[in-house]
Amino acid sequence: MEVSFSKEVRQLRLGAGETLHGEGILAITKALLQSGVAYVGGYQGAPVSHLLDVMVQAADYMAELGVHVEACSNEASAAAMLGASIHYPLRGAVTWKSVVGTNVAADALSNLASPGVMGGALIIVGEDYGEGASVIQERSHAFAMKSSLLLLDPRPQLPNMVRMVEQGFALSEACNTPAILQLRVRACHVRGSFECRDNLPPAVSRKALLAEPARFDYEKLAHPPATFRQEKLKTDQRLPAARRYIVEHGLNEIIAGRRHDIGIIVQGGLHNTLVRALQQCSLADAFGAAEFPILALNVTYPLVPEQIAEFCRGKRAVLVVEEGQPEYIEQEIATTLRRQDHGNTGTAIHGKDLLQMAGEYTVEVIAAGLVKFLVRHAAELPLAAAQDWLAANAARRQTVAAQLVAPLPPRPPQFCTGCPERPVFSALKLAQTNVGPVHIAADIGCHSFATFEPFGFGHTILGYGMSLASRAGVSPMLGRRALAVMGDGGFWHNGLLTGVESALFNKTDAVLLIMKNGYTAATGTQEIISTPDEAQKAGAPDKRLSLVDRNQTIERTLTGLGVTWLRTVPSYEVDAMRRTLEEAFTTDAGGLKVIVAEGECQLERQRRVKPWLAGLLKAGKRVVRVKYGVDADVCSGDHSCIRLSGCPTLTLKDSGDPLKVDPVASVIEGCVGCGLCGENAHAATLCPSFYRVEVVQNPGLAERALAALRRGVIRLVQAE
Amino acid sequence: MTQQQPITILTAALGGEGGGVLAEWLVEIATRAGHPAQSTSIPGVAQRTGATTYYVEIHLQTHAELGGRTPVLSLAPVPGCVDLMVASELLEAVRAIQNGFVSPGRTTLLASSGRTLTTFEKLAPGDGRFDSERLLQVAAANSRQLASFDVAATARETGTVPSAVLCGAIAGSGVLPFARADFEAVIRASGRGVEASLRGFALGFARCGAALGGAPAPTPCVPAGTLAAQADLIELGHARVVEFQDAAYGELYLQRVERLRQAERRADPQGLQGTELAREGARFLALWMAFDDVIRVADLKSRAGRFARVRAEAGAAADDLLRIADHFKPGVTELAGLLPPSAGRRLLAWESRRRQAGKAPLGLALKLRADSISGFLALRLLAGLRPLRRRGQRYAAEQALIELWLAAVEQAAARDWQAGLELALCARLVKGYGATNERAKDNLRHIVEHLAHSNAHDIARARSAALADEAGSGLDQALLQAGAPPRAIKPVPVRWFKAGAR
Repeated sequence: MEVSFSKEVRQLRLGAGETLHGEGILAITKALLQSGVAYVGGYQGAPVSHLLDVMVQAADYMAELGVHVEACSNEASAAAMLGASIHYPLRGAVTWKSVVGTNVAADALSNLASPGVMGGALIIVGEDYGEGASVIQERSHAFAMKSSLLLLDPRPQLPNMVRMVEQGFALSEACNTPAILQLRVRACHVRGSFECRDNLPPAVSRKALLAEPARFDYEKLAHPPATFRQEKLKTDQRLPAARRYIVEHGLNEIIAGRRHDIGIIVQGGLHNTLVRALQQCSLADAFGAAEFPILALNVTYPLVPEQIAEFCRGKRAVLVVEEGQPEYIEQEIATTLRRQDHGNTGTAIHGKDLLQMAGEYTVEVIAAGLVKFLVRHAAELPLAAAQDWLAANAARRQTVAAQLVAPLPPRPPQFCTGCPERPVFSALKLAQTNVGPVHIAADIGCHSFATFEPFGFGHTILGYGMSLASRAGVSPMLGRRALAVMGDGGFWHNGLLTGVESALFNKTDAVLLIMKNGYTAATGTQEIISTPDEAQKAGAPDKRLSLVDRNQTIERTLTGLGVTWLRTVPSYEVDAMRRTLEEAFTTDAGGLKVIVAEGECQLERQRRVKPWLAGLLKAGKRVVRVKYGVDADVCSGDHSCIRLSGCPTLTLKDSGDPLKVDPVASVIEGCVGCGLCGENAHAATLCPSFYRVEVVQNPGLAERALAALRRGVIRLVQAE
Repeated sequence: MTQQQPITILTAALGGEGGGVLAEWLVEIATRAGHPAQSTSIPGVAQRTGATTYYVEIHLQTHAELGGRTPVLSLAPVPGCVDLMVASELLEAVRAIQNGFVSPGRTTLLASSGRTLTTFEKLAPGDGRFDSERLLQVAAANSRQLASFDVAATARETGTVPSAVLCGAIAGSGVLPFARADFEAVIRASGRGVEASLRGFALGFARCGAALGGAPAPTPCVPAGTLAAQADLIELGHARVVEFQDAAYGELYLQRVERLRQAERRADPQGLQGTELAREGARFLALWMAFDDVIRVADLKSRAGRFARVRAEAGAAADDLLRIADHFKPGVTELAGLLPPSAGRRLLAWESRRRQAGKAPLGLALKLRADSISGFLALRLLAGLRPLRRRGQRYAAEQALIELWLAAVEQAAARDWQAGLELALCARLVKGYGATNERAKDNLRHIVEHLAHSNAHDIARARSAALADEAGSGLDQALLQAGAPPRAIKPVPVRWFKAGAR
């Protein structure tokens, strides 16, 4: 795993009265333990990866508490894990990135929601929406509505987030319904503090086992005819019970205002942003006390019609601040009011008519909508300052754009220095110049960075592990073979079944390229079933070597399924990879052809290498450090090496030659000596300016003598 | 700012620079001083070198002063409402300005003067770097005050990461109501690499203080051409050509430069336009005449100065041993280049037929140990072939194209000085090795053949397009716009069709 959470793991042990300082996601993790959670599962993905990562690293403490932690193979398996709470009084929590993870989990979620739960079931989803998001922009809200799940969207202050976890379990149990707790990216990473309570060892746990399984109960199966009754139960009993609990325990918060003729209803998660927008209009103080009342919905599904009606009573207008589309909450509020007083409550409802429909709700976006709302319904308020501020922002951006003349170049993420996947795409670029362009079905994972410059590879991305499946309709229509790129993470997440099994069964002619780097690298190098084990890492005499070849689970699985055309190529061997790709594209062999690009994630290798080398140097032992370089006087500044690599440490510098106006290539500090520069120079016949230098620290006597001899001879014939 | 408003700090960093640690330190400093503080981040794919931002708010009243009340702090920065903007990289500082966060009335901007080039900027066959001078001007013009120094270099000097240097700069800016000792105490308590962090902190503190007082730091990138304007280009060019071959070749260079001079004089007898045509023509002519063949490369790679430079660039200590392996892949082109023109051409034609038949180009991938006796002697032996060069096919081919270009420049200049200059500047296209070099020369030949009679603007546009993108679709477009034919599509062997499509 990429990050060590030893400090966070220690904080999980804090007891009553102690203060935890940390990120939102750590607070949530601690709150699970304070709620007596018995089992935790999930699938990693920003922004909630750390929840499971911390739990996995806290294995010892979890064992002490009797809590079971499982790193699931995908979100569907995580959701299915919650099935434990159907029959047993077990509190369970699972986590994943949404909306994508919720999509994968949807089948199990529906089948969980229908029978309902006995023990509290909480699904912590990272709502990957807006700035920094890496997935399609959709709302998880729809899943809560269609499956009648509870949806919590806590006001993003650590004590409130912790309260919502604890209340979420209780609420779930009060209405036998699983609950989703949704956290936006910034809420996961908000750093604050809260006063802890003692952790609650679960009553039933790995340490306190149940003697007998539950008795057979057909009503708890998501199977007809029980399903018909279950649907009625949702609306007749469970949601009403949830609404009662929400009101009785004050889960939603009403922040009083100075005047009552207008008001705002906001998703809890947006409360802080709304308050700052009000402050920009001089309508709220530092503590969130506003000119008019705010209903902050910590629970956004189900809404409580009585609570909504009560809040709106006597108000001329209410603004609904709801992020994303469509505007489910606003529609429900409008329906609620329409059903009262013959539809004439006298309260105007505004929302998406004044606020932007799609995209993240920043302070500026909310303020712009707020100003429009107030101009219409409270024009007497002094809004000039806020309007000036908004206008100044727009004007400033225009001025700066004019001053810059050209647009700023983007800076998307890219392959790390020394990444084993970069050389594979170099080879693919070269192979395509020989056999012609091919259709490339891309996938989710680090390799999707190949969609950016300098490669620009990938026609479609259809989901995690979906690449091979996504070319099933393309292959038969194209004269050339299609290529599917998949990571080992995606392979195990679901590519093995949706892609490989399907292609084999249908005897499809296609090429699958698997990036075997040993981890789900993009989410933080979590381990998978094909990760080289710790003993091999500890036993390797040279820690710099890639160790992924030691685990053959992927190859054995493919062979076992019936793949016959299977090639493994070390990923840094660009020319060999190019030849293998060309062979796969041109061979007469039909069926599925699989190339495994073998090279361990460089982040993981460096985690081993750095302390190892530091230790050797400290002990005065011999160390060989490798770095690549470019002879500036040989480089002619055409940058074709960069167009074939894109390595962060292969960059440009001024030529230093008064005659050469264009910058030359340069390898800067941070080069890990992966060898790609040299491989590309050879495979693409680039140019002779690259050199590989090995720096031998603490050399032995014999090699010192040999070097001295060489230097002596060379000096005799060397020019300046 | 009232006591009710928080102090706001926005940090833009690149993955792996320690921006998260910095945000943690700032919250810790404020917390220790009794202030409510909060940070959030958009870590993006933080380790993977993308842009990341961290945002901190600190309430000015302490918990004691607040008497149990809790301020509501924003999770996201607000455009125009940032008190302190910190950026570890210049372009990212300007990106924050472009996004509207920095206010000329409110924001103190601490921006590194150093650049980490984006991939996009590195791709162009010419110079695709964003103008650093302009970035600094925009930074200065749009902030209340700007302190700029090279953060990454400062971190390297002190053996630490940018976050420690930035922390020093934040302390040195005086925007936060905390003493230097408060910052240092938190760094000390962090427990990892403390000494290096404190060194970086101290230098960041000092440099920020100095930079706040003075003018913006000198620009990191020297704009193209300014170096050369100071030296006598023709003298430099002559020396380069003589060093490349011999005095007679140098003489040929001077004759060609003289032709450029005369062409310029005829076009502009009063010298109203200066001498740019002859000077810039002479620059690219020298680089072209000293073309990089194996003899030249072997010579450059075996010099004493080169060995010293490699040692310095590798960061090797005096006691460390160095092993240098050079990556060569001489092929048929390189061999043919050394043969007499007729034999060379026959060999190239043979290789071309092989390629058309779908065979891979012949080449010998070598990793030559320049520091070993045999490797070094091999380099010197190759370099020693210099006298043979003038009789080789490559030499003849280069001279023929140079003459073609030179004649075209003369003709264009006779028509219009500016057109002559633009065509002379097209020699900048000639660079690279092997296939890249061939493609570049094909582009030049195409421009010379089809745009020699066009106006200056069309020639300039075609050249810029050729330097911006290697694939050349921009060049083809520029050619079409100028009424010239696009470049011919090169025949590529059809290697494969799927069964059924065959």
